[in-house]
Amino acid sequence: MSIDFLVVTYCFYLVISISLTVWVARTLFRNGRVFLVDVFHGNATLADSVNHLLVVGFYLVNLGYVSLALKLGYDVTSARGSIEALSQKVGVVLLVLGGMHFFNLYVFSRIRRRSVLEVAPPPVVPDACVVRAR
Amino acid sequence: MLTVLYDSSCALCRKTRYWLQDQPKYVELEFVPADSLEARRLFPDLDHASTLRDLTVVGSGGELYRGAKAWVMCLWALREYRETALKLSTPETMPMARRLIAWVSRNRLWLGSAMESLGFQRRTS
Repeated sequence: MSIDFLVVTYCFYLVISISLTVWVARTLFRNGRVFLVDVFHGNATLADSVNHLLVVGFYLVNLGYVSLALKLGYDVTSARGSIEALSQKVGVVLLVLGGMHFFNLYVFSRIRRRSVLEVAPPPVVPDACVVRAR
Repeated sequence: MLTVLYDSSCALCRKTRYWLQDQPKYVELEFVPADSLEARRLFPDLDHASTLRDLTVVGSGGELYRGAKAWVMCLWALREYRETALKLSTPETMPMARRLIAWVSRNRLWLGSAMESLGFQRRTS
């Protein structure tokens, strides 16, 4: 019985890509929580909710991409060809994951900047003090 | 709340006042024409002649800011411009801001009339 290298490549591709996505998403989920709790001034419920929503979006975009990029477009007939095709596909998935991860960090930092600005004290010292009637 | 004492006789100042009024804010702004009866009533011991030279902002606790500092405080009150206010008020940028504001302040009358003759409409409410 001959091995269908293409199907094996697809299987490996799915296993590796999905595991990577899960790993990055879990990292984001674990470390993002601490950050969001601080941003929302200790409101853990809100932080958990935002964190969860972000991670769901992350999963959807990444798994969507992994699924769309599955098809190889040419036949694979040897183990060498399989590894080469796999490395190329997984490489692109890694880059997409990296891009998404940095985008998430950017979103976190935007949220944080907003909350820091909201409580920022006046940046200049008064020239004097006057009495205000009423 | 911040009280903004602005020169109501200058078109540029009025224009700016309406612009400030329309922006989303962190801190409410109250606009009072400089050297007016209302201004004299609110701040009896303030040198009102000086408020006609430079934009003046008074905080709710009586903190007085003039010129560039007053501008920074106005921007600080706005949601979209608080970051700009923080950037503008660093020791490196503040002297430049001060020179720019002083120049605009000295030339505000002709700047305002130039703006109006260029077609910026007068607003009354």
